[in-house]
Amino acid sequence: MRDVAIVGVGSTQFGRAQWSLLKMMCEASHDAITDAGIGERKIDAVYVGNMGAPRNNRMSGLSSGLVDRMNLYPHTVSETIENGPASGASAIKHGLHSVASGLCDLVLVCGGERMREVNNFEATEFVSFLSHRYAEYVYGVTLPALAGMFTRLYMERYGLEPKHLAMVAIKNHENGAKNRKAHVRIPITMEGILTGPDALNNNPWIAEPLRFFDCCPVSDGASAVLLAPAEMAKEFKKTPVLVAGMGQATDSQAVQDRPDPTELTAVRMAAERAFAMAKLAPKDIHVAELHDAFTILEIAESEECGFFKKGEGHKALERGETRIGGRLPINPSGGLKSRGHPVGNTGVSQIVELVLQLRGEAGDYQVPNQPRHGFAVNFGGFGNNVVATVLKRGV
Amino acid sequence: MAKIVEAAKCVKCGKISYPMHFYCPSCRGTRFEPVPVEGEGRLITWTRVYALPLDYAVLYTTLGIVELDMGVRATGQLDIAEPKTGQRVRARVGKVREINGKDITGLVFGAV
Amino acid sequence: MSPPVYDWDAGEYLTSEEERMIDELEAMLRPPVLPMAPYPPKAVLLASGETMVVRQASIDEVDTMLKVIQPLSWLDRDFYDIVAARLFAELLGWKTYRVRNEYCLVGVVDGVLAGIVNGRLWDEKHGVSYHTLTLKRGLRVGSHLFASKMEHHIEYLGQDEVWVVAESPIGHRRWMIEYPLDKKFEIQHELGGAPSYVLTRETYFKAKSRLVTGTRPVSPELLASSYPLREPDLKVMLTQIEDTLEARL
Repeated sequence: MRDVAIVGVGSTQFGRAQWSLLKMMCEASHDAITDAGIGERKIDAVYVGNMGAPRNNRMSGLSSGLVDRMNLYPHTVSETIENGPASGASAIKHGLHSVASGLCDLVLVCGGERMREVNNFEATEFVSFLSHRYAEYVYGVTLPALAGMFTRLYMERYGLEPKHLAMVAIKNHENGAKNRKAHVRIPITMEGILTGPDALNNNPWIAEPLRFFDCCPVSDGASAVLLAPAEMAKEFKKTPVLVAGMGQATDSQAVQDRPDPTELTAVRMAAERAFAMAKLAPKDIHVAELHDAFTILEIAESEECGFFKKGEGHKALERGETRIGGRLPINPSGGLKSRGHPVGNTGVSQIVELVLQLRGEAGDYQVPNQPRHGFAVNFGGFGNNVVATVLKRGV
Repeated sequence: MAKIVEAAKCVKCGKISYPMHFYCPSCRGTRFEPVPVEGEGRLITWTRVYALPLDYAVLYTTLGIVELDMGVRATGQLDIAEPKTGQRVRARVGKVREINGKDITGLVFGAV
Repeated sequence: MSPPVYDWDAGEYLTSEEERMIDELEAMLRPPVLPMAPYPPKAVLLASGETMVVRQASIDEVDTMLKVIQPLSWLDRDFYDIVAARLFAELLGWKTYRVRNEYCLVGVVDGVLAGIVNGRLWDEKHGVSYHTLTLKRGLRVGSHLFASKMEHHIEYLGQDEVWVVAESPIGHRRWMIEYPLDKKFEIQHELGGAPSYVLTRETYFKAKSRLVTGTRPVSPELLASSYPLREPDLKVMLTQIEDTLEARL
């Protein structure tokens, strides 16, 4: 097996797309190709991460569309990967496999999603198809509903308070405000969303105990990375970043089926597998992008991945350890909370953000002291299909 | 309109699973007989959901996960104004949603 | 010698008889107005930590508002075009005394217009809600302003009910279901369109603690900061509206 490096990254603005889905994906891919400077080399394969195009955009076979639009035919092979909100990281995993195995040299992975083409209700509805059809969906279970039930249990067991959830939101909004490409660039305050006189009206319930600012926005966006064998990596323009480890794990589809519903077993196992492959441990990580579709998830994942003891994540948050400049900055890009959550794209955009951090190109939200190891969790379903990635600067 | 919500009882080992899986989780048997999800249980966690799909004309619905005495866990609607985690509830079957004009029945839990 | 060209705009060409006739016509066209209690200003602390002053707008502020609203009438996004076009007409009608018993409330953040709501009195006991236009999005400005409008009708104008229709699904969802409003389909709302919904005193006071916010009194300095009304930067406003943050997964 060959080592695989990321040699180029690109991304569009997040938010409400001004462009069609394919155009967004082309722009992100073009950015990644230009970033790497591939010259006359041919792209051998394209993997596209997407979740909702057949339903929301009435397009299927998205990767073929991208290959056509970018004139990559007939040389390039392509597939579209659908793995719920973990589609992006899954697409990167497939890219990793095809380069590592020696089947392909240069592989483009693009995650794209355009959810705002449909209205809010349809967007919520299509994401809720992830829940168990007969045991959950028919009751009106949405992802926020599952997150709400999860949060209540978690709060009761580990003594989390609403202020801890708000602190995640405030931190990520503060980070995202510095990220030119983030969707929600509005800094928020504790007074404004929790303690002030009008706070509870500014921040109404979505699924108790989760409020409006505990949930990520519905976003459009596309991101792309270019993978190449590590031995070729020096031929490109930018500092290569090694895909040191990738791990994936699954869990029961219905949350009720889990022996302890506060355990995110798939997150823990995916992280363990990624760390084992990278021969690194949680203490070696300098920057992390965790899947904070709901504020509680950032805290829960930071524990399951081994950064903090179970039930201690919110204490680290209180101490400011997860801020930019803290011991382990989490979601310096703003995370899903502020950068946005175009579902099938998110896994790729997390990797793009980590690569920028490791190269030192993140600008206003750059993590100090030249981080060398980065970590990402891309969370599919409500924790039933999770992909974790460890990145390492240099090859 | 379905009168019961079915769980699957493994013909070989008697383990009840809900929702059903293709293989029995304890003996990997593949033959099951339907048994109703019913009786009393304990509320593990719950939520009031305000962000609902468009077919809902209510402000919120209350949902919860219940550990039933019959040995399975089930998600369902709560017909309880102020639920408390850990409280005893009883399952019944009722209309829980309308999808494309069709009534969907499912589990509704009331306080005991 | 040719006769002088008649100029409708130049006063000195009118004879006193002509002037008297124009005033009479104007008097016929200008409707009598019911007395309306003022809306006491309030301050709402937004999620961003900014304070929004909600206060009554006066007729001499209409021109500023029209200038802000006008470009939105071409914005085919979340029904902004139809709401902007109709609000434009309603405010112009108010300014030129062609709509009876109309009022307008504005939300102002740091002196900049953040949102507009308006409505009118049908009679002493019945109110008609017109439009809610949010210019600063993502902070629930529209929700606060709509609630202020209902507060004005019920608490300060002392009305028994307000008739409401929505043009956008977001509006429908928010007003009809969140409050929740009752159906009053026997009434045809002035805006035409869907059958009317109604907010009664009873539903208002039930929903009040949940939906109506703000603190009174507003300090004179804060209130003064909301005058004169400043226009939001057009580009910032359009970007915010395009990237609306209303939706949550």
